[in-house]
Amino acid sequence: MDIHVPEIPPRYEGFRAELRAFIAANKPTLVWKQRSGLRTPDSEADVVALRQWVAALDDAGYRLGRFSLEEVDPYEQRIIKQEVAVAGVPLVLGNPLVSGALKTFGTPEQQRRYLPPMARGDHIWTQLFSEPNAGSDLASLQTSARVEGDEYIVSGQKVWSTWAQWADYGYLLARTEPIAGPGGISAFLLDMKSPGVEVRPLREMTGTTDFNEVFMDDVRIPAANLIGTPGNGWIAAQTSLLTEREGVGGGTGRGVADGLTELARHHRRHGRPALEDSAVRQEIGALEARSRVFAALGYRVATKAAQRSSDAWDAPLTKIWYSELNLEVAEYALALQGLGGSLVEGDPDAWDDGWWQDRFLYARALTIAGGSNEIMRNMIAERGLGLPKEPRGVSPL
Amino acid sequence: MNFAFSEEQELLRRSTRRFLDDRQQLAALRSRLEEPETLDRPSWREAAELGWTSMLIPPRYEGGCVTDQPIVDLVVLGEELGRCLHPGPFVPTNVVADAIATWGTELQCEEWLGPIAHGESLAAWCISRDGSIETGECGVVATCGDDSSVLDGVARFVHGAAAADLLLVLAHSGDGLVHVLVPTSTPGVAIRTQRSIDLTRRFGEVAFDGVTVASAQTLRADADAVHSRAVDLATILQAAEAVGAADHLFSKTVEYLKVRKQFGRTIASFQAIKHRLADLLLSLEGMRAATHYAALAMNDGFDDRSAAVSTAGSYVGESFAALCGEALQLHGGIGFTWEHDVHLFVRRAITNKGLYGDPGWHRERLCAIAEVA
Repeated sequence: MDIHVPEIPPRYEGFRAELRAFIAANKPTLVWKQRSGLRTPDSEADVVALRQWVAALDDAGYRLGRFSLEEVDPYEQRIIKQEVAVAGVPLVLGNPLVSGALKTFGTPEQQRRYLPPMARGDHIWTQLFSEPNAGSDLASLQTSARVEGDEYIVSGQKVWSTWAQWADYGYLLARTEPIAGPGGISAFLLDMKSPGVEVRPLREMTGTTDFNEVFMDDVRIPAANLIGTPGNGWIAAQTSLLTEREGVGGGTGRGVADGLTELARHHRRHGRPALEDSAVRQEIGALEARSRVFAALGYRVATKAAQRSSDAWDAPLTKIWYSELNLEVAEYALALQGLGGSLVEGDPDAWDDGWWQDRFLYARALTIAGGSNEIMRNMIAERGLGLPKEPRGVSPL
Repeated sequence: MNFAFSEEQELLRRSTRRFLDDRQQLAALRSRLEEPETLDRPSWREAAELGWTSMLIPPRYEGGCVTDQPIVDLVVLGEELGRCLHPGPFVPTNVVADAIATWGTELQCEEWLGPIAHGESLAAWCISRDGSIETGECGVVATCGDDSSVLDGVARFVHGAAAADLLLVLAHSGDGLVHVLVPTSTPGVAIRTQRSIDLTRRFGEVAFDGVTVASAQTLRADADAVHSRAVDLATILQAAEAVGAADHLFSKTVEYLKVRKQFGRTIASFQAIKHRLADLLLSLEGMRAATHYAALAMNDGFDDRSAAVSTAGSYVGESFAALCGEALQLHGGIGFTWEHDVHLFVRRAITNKGLYGDPGWHRERLCAIAEVA
């Protein structure tokens, strides 16, 4: 038993040094405030700067494996992710969920045409899955795509699309077959500049605009933009969502509870630093324990995945573990600040300019998005434990 | 990265399970629930050949482990023993064997390790008068003479005391704490079995009344170091037993809910039940991961080993008790009967919560570690 990750061999030091120099020379200056979670820039100038940055990175040969059709060097990949993370700028623009679907189900032509610009940031992607009446019950989605010649005519409404306000392409699920449920759903590549597509940014409880509504009114999509075969969209989406769920909290591992002792040292309770209060110490210890349990769970899930022996519950279980712990840590961070915990960004007395308050509000995105935690519990119970399926009502066509 | 048991360890798991299944361990244990002793000694001696007490003992003293990670080997065993609520003394015997193997003199090793490895000698660990692991609660005093000392006082909640042949005793001496190896046959040692809510294990009150021990029976080591290693090891082994017990009880509960029918449907088809089972799986998988990581961290000497052990100590302690309680509730009325096994798990879990560091003790240690990180 080990958790050993092979050391990056010394011969990669040159690669790392070059990349560092490259980042120092090309890193964009953004007005975008750094917040917790997967967020979207709110200014066009930032998006332009980010596109230039990602393109320069790709042109210099720093490309992520998920966008590459060739074999990639795993050490170089690690160094790229590490160094860009240290620089505190994004490596990927938009929601690249479609890359997995393209690699598994796309034609070679589609792969050649869409993957490289996705890597360069020339094409920013968004995901067009959820609908106002198809959230947890995604398979009941009603956006329709009917064939007309060598085109599909698409009408419907999507919601919860991250980056859609800046997106060039959308990964769309629509109903092509007159069958209720998953069997009638197909997946498409949608050019967001097509006539009839309208994006309305959605302001969320955080006060920021990280999601959008997308309206489609008789939008024409070439039949060549179908991913896989008609009726195969649900399977493509499931394949890609699985990656998204495993991605929730991925790489954060130990450290979900980081920062709590710092807060407890600087805030007071019963006339002394909160960190000296045993009730506070117990709570911090409990959250610290769960944060470490989560890291250990990550090793287990990763090992099973590498051995191709994953359990059906691994992805939903990881998603619930992280999102609920993250929420509780944020709630407790606010509690530690007393009534000062109610102060947000912009108030001169707000702790760390309201970073924790934003994290607290945004934490609700993670307990709901990517399949709500209730749906995750159904998946664990039905697919993982083999319990009888919930009796279903009839989905409208 | 390979955060999983090796093939040899899986083999060890299978042979251990077969051994315990063949003896219908839990059913056999039920017949002894109200007897003075729950341990079946002949079966323990046979089991010793499977390595139950030999993993932490070097080969030159007739011990041996399965892989080069003996603490991880022990977790495999602990999980299997936990499944059937084995009465032990798996935890204390291994803790004492480890203390002797790590800190003992040549003579001490020769005298005790072979018999322990072969299951001929059982060991118990006397920590405190109230069962806590705080050395400040140590209730035994050693008055040292030239080449012997005299022990007086009492230790309680000593797992497996009545069955034990050897005691590892923490005592106050003139120069601080010491650990003394005391055969239970020594004059002046009196053991009373306590009436415990845990029906599967036996705990004893050990009284020392002018017990004379030779100086050669003292461990020549820093008592705090001995104590803290013993606490860490005991925490991990107890967590391993809890994981096995929780895993078994969880499967049994799922199985039952799949066949139990009310309102014309199996109750496992109700979402109110499904979500509770999903939550139990969240905690079970967490318990497992925490325990495996703690064993790995202690065995391989990771920098974060103390935090890893206390993560298991606090998380498993709380979650095991909560899981058993939920399992009982989900069984409904049948779970409240004496005949059903679920109460034995509840009783085990609530006892574990105070044994080898309560979850609160481990949470405090985690906070103290986070504070300086």
